[in-house]
Amino acid sequence: MKQSRLFVAGLVASLAMAGTASKAIADNDEITRGQLMAASCKACHNAAGAEKGVPDLARISPEVIQSQMRAFRDGDRDATIMDRHAKGYTDEEIEAMSVYFSRF
Amino acid sequence: MHNFTRRHFLKAFGVTSAAALTGIGCAPRAARNGAKAHVVVVGGGSGGATAARYLKQFSPDMMVTLIEPNATYVTCYGSNWVIGGFESMDAITHGYQNLRDRDGIDVIEDKVVGVDTDSRTVRLESGGSVQYDKLVMSPGIDFKYDDMPGIDEADAERIPHAWKAGSQTELLRSQLLEMPNGGVFVMVAPPNPFRCPPGPYERVSLIAHYFKEHKPRSKIIVLDAKDNFSKQGLFEEGWAQHYGDMIEWRGASDGGLVEEIDVGGMTARSDSGFERVRADVMNFIPAQRAGQIVHDVGLTNDQGWVPVNQRTFKSEMDDNIYVLGDASVAGAMPKSGHSANNQGKIVAAAIVRELMDQEPIDPSSANTCYSLITPEHGISVAAVYKYQDGAQAGVEGSGGVSPSGETSSFRRREAEYTRAWYAGITRDIWG
Ligand SMILES: Cc1cc2nc3c(=O)[nH]c(=O)nc-3n(C[C@H](O)[C@H](O)[C@H](O)COP(=O)(O)OP(=O)(O)OC[C@H]3O[C@@H](n4cnc5c(N)ncnc54)[C@H](O)[C@@H]3O)c2cc1C
Repeated sequence: MKQSRLFVAGLVASLAMAGTASKAIADNDEITRGQLMAASCKACHNAAGAEKGVPDLARISPEVIQSQMRAFRDGDRDATIMDRHAKGYTDEEIEAMSVYFSRF
Repeated sequence: MHNFTRRHFLKAFGVTSAAALTGIGCAPRAARNGAKAHVVVVGGGSGGATAARYLKQFSPDMMVTLIEPNATYVTCYGSNWVIGGFESMDAITHGYQNLRDRDGIDVIEDKVVGVDTDSRTVRLESGGSVQYDKLVMSPGIDFKYDDMPGIDEADAERIPHAWKAGSQTELLRSQLLEMPNGGVFVMVAPPNPFRCPPGPYERVSLIAHYFKEHKPRSKIIVLDAKDNFSKQGLFEEGWAQHYGDMIEWRGASDGGLVEEIDVGGMTARSDSGFERVRADVMNFIPAQRAGQIVHDVGLTNDQGWVPVNQRTFKSEMDDNIYVLGDASVAGAMPKSGHSANNQGKIVAAAIVRELMDQEPIDPSSANTCYSLITPEHGISVAAVYKYQDGAQAGVEGSGGVSPSGETSSFRRREAEYTRAWYAGITRDIWG
């Protein structure tokens, strides 16, 4: 089923990416729109949410976040609610927020 | 009234850490320097605690003081689970220890009784005062008991609102426990706008859950000041599925608009007195307005809410005050804990950027309001908001409610995510 295949792909890629995410944005010295959007997601997608079954985005690479958000948005991944959320963001916005999670 | 300075105040409270003292004496310069500025946050609820934490996160050297009269905060979210009998008060109670110890926020247990906007000073009930460069206010709601003949605030001891969580939650729960099987529970539901649009309907769902197990001959009547409500189709689908005809909802134009409450007779009157509904347990949720303190400071409009610049949540009345959460007029964003949480982050970013002389950004945020119909049947309404054309507006094509006619496993997953949402957002707010 499409959901689990993407999920496994996501896990593999996220492990591979874990070390590089924060370096790319280390020199940033102002609060950006992408950072604020990522902060919004963190209400659910944090370590406490993860204990109850919502992925902690701090542990997932920007690339995987981007591909999964697009999959949710375009109907390529089953969801209860993320499809409804993902439709609210453009590719640029998804990209802009994706780099911040590992930094929080 | 002593005119305490910040230094005196800190001394009086024994606060002498280096971090706390750096900001003193350079208040005028502070507005040019985000790191040295002193931001005071009024209210340690969903909006205020978030704003305080994210100010520190976005600008670690900033001095942040949070003023909240209660030692702990009981979330309204989850309080319907307590009323339904499957969650404890402890599980929905949060303290400020992590804000103090881990985030370096100066948390003061006191109530703000006034603000002098010229000298940028808040006055405390205990007699002290605190100076600010920027003031953030998230005082939540107060009730308009005057709008309902026959009942006033003191009657909440007999007819609880349970719309601020804590002892009111426990009171309603204990009344339901004492009610005989076959009794009638009546909810008088509020007019728009009010805190948590799906909240009343989640509450009667979970009271029905309790009745079904323990008092199956009982009846639930909702007398509503509105003709429709949030997630109505999904609630009614769930009610029919789980509770048969136990819950009877009467819309405003169907005799639901209550005109008077007879407290002694535990009776709600509607339809010019032709309809009288007697209750064994009554839950009157009054019409609402912003918390008293923002009225006292002169920040409210004629409807009793605070108009703000919806890009930054800066008050339209005062350049140094930001108001968020239920108290604010926030465009399409509902009065929810999740909205208040998002707005706390928006305010934190706006203040940090302003203090660094940077242009404001156009914020975008996501909101989800989950409700339980049974402990295993969850439903949701989601939205993504963007600041556009001067207001917080829903992004077209996004958001919406859970699909109708879904499987029980879908409903169960949303019930699990309801609990995940709770665990996540309370960690985000109180650490
Ligand atoms: C039954 C129910 C269920 C709900 N369920 C949900 C849900 O599932 N999801 C959701 O997102 N939202 C839910 N909500 C809504 C949510 O609780 C509120 O929208 C949210 O708490 C608003 O945050 P706030 O910061 O504006 O106010 P509050 O959280 O009420 O915080 C206000 C704080 O300010 C303090 N304060 C007030 N005046 C002063 C003063 N003068 N000086 C100092 N401090 C002061 C108060 O003590 C309080 O701690 C629910 C509400 C209810 C009633």
